[in-house]
Order: sequence, then structure tokens, then C-alpha cells
Amino acid sequence: MASRLRDLILLFIILAPNASAMEPAPDFAGQDLNSGVQVNLASYRGKVVLVDFWASWCPPCLESLPAWEQLRNKIGTGSFEVIAINVDEDTDDGIRFLRSRPVSYPVLADPEGEIGKPWGVRSLPRYFLVDREGRIVSTYKRFKPSDEARLEQEISTLLKQ
Amino acid sequence: MIRRFLKAALAGLLLLNPSLSAFAATCSCAGVPVLIYLDTSAIEKGDFFASYTADDHQINDLVSGSDEVPDETGRDRSSFSQVLSASYAFTDHWSVSALASYVKHERKIGSSSFGEMSAAGIGDSVLLARYSPFYISPFSRHELSLGLGLRIPTGENDIVDVFLLSEDMQPGTGAVGKIGWASYSYAFNQAATLQTFTSVNYTHNEENDRHYRFGHEMNFTVGLSQSLGSHFGYSAALRYRSTEPDQRSGFELPNSGGKWLDFIPAIRYAVTDSFGVALSGRIPVARDLDGILQFTTSYSYAVTVSYGF
Repeated sequence: MASRLRDLILLFIILAPNASAMEPAPDFAGQDLNSGVQVNLASYRGKVVLVDFWASWCPPCLESLPAWEQLRNKIGTGSFEVIAINVDEDTDDGIRFLRSRPVSYPVLADPEGEIGKPWGVRSLPRYFLVDREGRIVSTYKRFKPSDEARLEQEISTLLKQ
Repeated sequence: MIRRFLKAALAGLLLLNPSLSAFAATCSCAGVPVLIYLDTSAIEKGDFFASYTADDHQINDLVSGSDEVPDETGRDRSSFSQVLSASYAFTDHWSVSALASYVKHERKIGSSSFGEMSAAGIGDSVLLARYSPFYISPFSRHELSLGLGLRIPTGENDIVDVFLLSEDMQPGTGAVGKIGWASYSYAFNQAATLQTFTSVNYTHNEENDRHYRFGHEMNFTVGLSQSLGSHFGYSAALRYRSTEPDQRSGFELPNSGGKWLDFIPAIRYAVTDSFGVALSGRIPVARDLDGILQFTTSYSYAVTVSYGF
């Protein structure tokens, strides 16, 4: 019995993928809901990028959007950018929210999950930090106010590299 | 010493007196059904989910077939279980769950303290591997999970109180149970605030070292759950449970096994994103039990605190 249990545990350890990040960020492209300009993640290579998946029905997401606006204003856009991906099935719900609480960073619509699925988005809010080389260096689930300070620290470290 | 002697004398009288023995109906506990405490929802890669449940199970309904009959023995039977469960997802598709329990059984017959009996100790454990080929996300409304596992006989099954206690009074079953399990959920909206779920599990019980085998058991549950805002939620489910009669040395025991239909309401409150509390109950709706007489569930209620990160 003990050896069977040990084998089972070993099997799961082998099956488990490397939990560390540093995976290449799946590329995506789309039209910015704010400006109508075409946005492509690859074109931000050389910058640190915060990619945030959100929906109008997700209360914590509605706190994170203005928080990223403040963070972006604080750090500046010389070497940093935020790209928000709205996953509302009806994109108009996302657009209505943006009218009431506008943000100045690009927001793309992803109602079918064409962007979100390759990123493994399973629940919201979910945001990813991408380094200058286009690799995912960290993933955040849920949103806590303390995340802002932690993110700022992490971005600051990445910008020095 | 005198107390022990009197207890032994009373136990002897109970065994020898045929009219009293007729009321010695088996308790349809089939051990403690620890599997019901496992959360059926699939969890995300890297997530750890732990919960503690305290369950008070009252087993005082005397039933003949599907009819409740008056109990003239003044019997009072209950089980109090404490269950710790933990789940970890190695990938978005594969996770493992483990469950450990501590069980206290109490039985009182008549108004005298000599008819009191109790046993407490570590109960059985469960280890379950789970595969979720698809799961609810902002881009999918469906979730399917399949599981295989073992109930491990970590519990005591040889507690003595003057005599070796009967199997239904022992905290553990003393035998391995092989578990098959499946669940399906559907979200009615993208936020998955309203869901319907169904699950089925089957436990194939082995014989323990006293040649006792609890009846194989099947549970089928269907229900609805809804989140109200970001903190409150509730669910309501119907559970059909069927067990075969217990066996000793290959022979079926009378007054064990049957079919039950229970209503299971639950409310929950998410204190934070990670920490929640829930209160649930089990209320008999219908039952059809094997044999002439069985004591069975009157009701049960449970409090669960859970933590995930």
C-alpha cells in the first residue's frame, strides 16, 4: 500500500509542469477599444508590460483597472505599459464600464477567449507581468490592494535589468 | 469497578433477553460517509484548498421499510465527525485531494447511564486523484471531473467498551474502499454565479480483519448553487444514496443496507477571497431500507470553514 501511494505521488510530481513562470508570453493583436488603434503585444518588446484580463461583472476587476491607471501614471510609459483585455461576452458591457471609468492604456476585446485561452485564464481577475524579452515573469490571481506595492516593486526590478 | 460490572451485567441481559434483542436494529451508518465532505469543484493549477468540517449526525429514526415506526427503547444515537480535507492542483487538469477524519460515536439506550456507550478516535482517510478534461472559466460553461481513489483504513476499528464494540460504533471501517467518482457542472452565466451540478460516486468496500464488510455504496447528487454578490451564496441539492447490506464472513446481515433520498441545503459566506464559512444540513426526504427495522438518519448539520490560495 505504501509503495503504491509513493508511486502515485511521484506520478503527480512528474506530471506537474514547472510552476515557475518565465514562459514566452503568447502573442495577441486587436483593436484598442479607446482609440481604435491596432495593438500588438510583440510591438511592446523592450518594455515591461502588465497584461490584465477583466470583465464588467467581476467586482475585484473594477478595483484593479483604476489601480493600474495610477501605477502607469506613477511609473510612466517610457519603459512600461498596461494592456487590459476585456472578456465580457457582450463587449458593449465593457465599453459602458470604460465610459464611466475611463483609462488611458489600451483595452482589447476578447469575447471568445481567443487571447485568454492561450494565456490559461480560468478565473478573474488574472494579470501577468511580461518582461522586456516578452516572457511571463509572474502571474497574479484575484486582486488585493497589497498587490499594487508588490507589482510596483517587481516592475522596478525588471526595469533595472 | 462496580460500574464496569454493572455495565457488563446489563450488556449480558440485553444480549440474552430476546424481546430486547428484537430492537437491536443495525444502524445504517456504514461507517462515516467521509466522501461527502470532499469539494467537487475543479481547482486551478497551483491552487491549494483546505477545509475543516464539523458534522453532527443524529441517527434516531426507527424505520421499517419506508415507514417510520415509534421507538420505545428511548434510544439516542449520534455521530460527531471532524474532517480535514485538502486539495492541490498540479495542473489545470490534474489535482489530488486528501481527507482525514476524527469520529465520535455515542449511543444511549433507555434513561439509565448504564445504557450509554461511546467511542472516539481517528477515522478513515481518503486519497483521491482527479482529472478535469474541461472546467468552467470565462470562456466555458461546462465542467467535468473524474476521480479515482481509496478510502484508507487509518481509523480504529477495535475499540472495546466492556465488549468489542459493533462495527457501526467504531470510528473506522478497518478495510480499504475503492472509490470511483465523477461530477459535472454547468454555469448559466459567464460569471458562473448560477450553476447546476451533479455528481456520482461509488465505493467498493473490502472485508476487514474481522471478516466484516460494509455494503458497497453509491451516491448520486443533483443540485443548484447561486452566489449573491461577492460574499453570500447558497445551494440546494438532492442526494440519492444506495448501499448493499453489510456482510460478515460472506453472509448478508439483516437490517442493513437500503436506499435514501436526502435534501441538502447549504449557505456560505466568503469572508475574504480566500476564506469562507458554510453551514449545511441533511434532511431525509424518503427511504426504503432493507430488513425489518433499522435506525437511520434523523438529520445532520455541518459547519465548514475553508481556505484557499
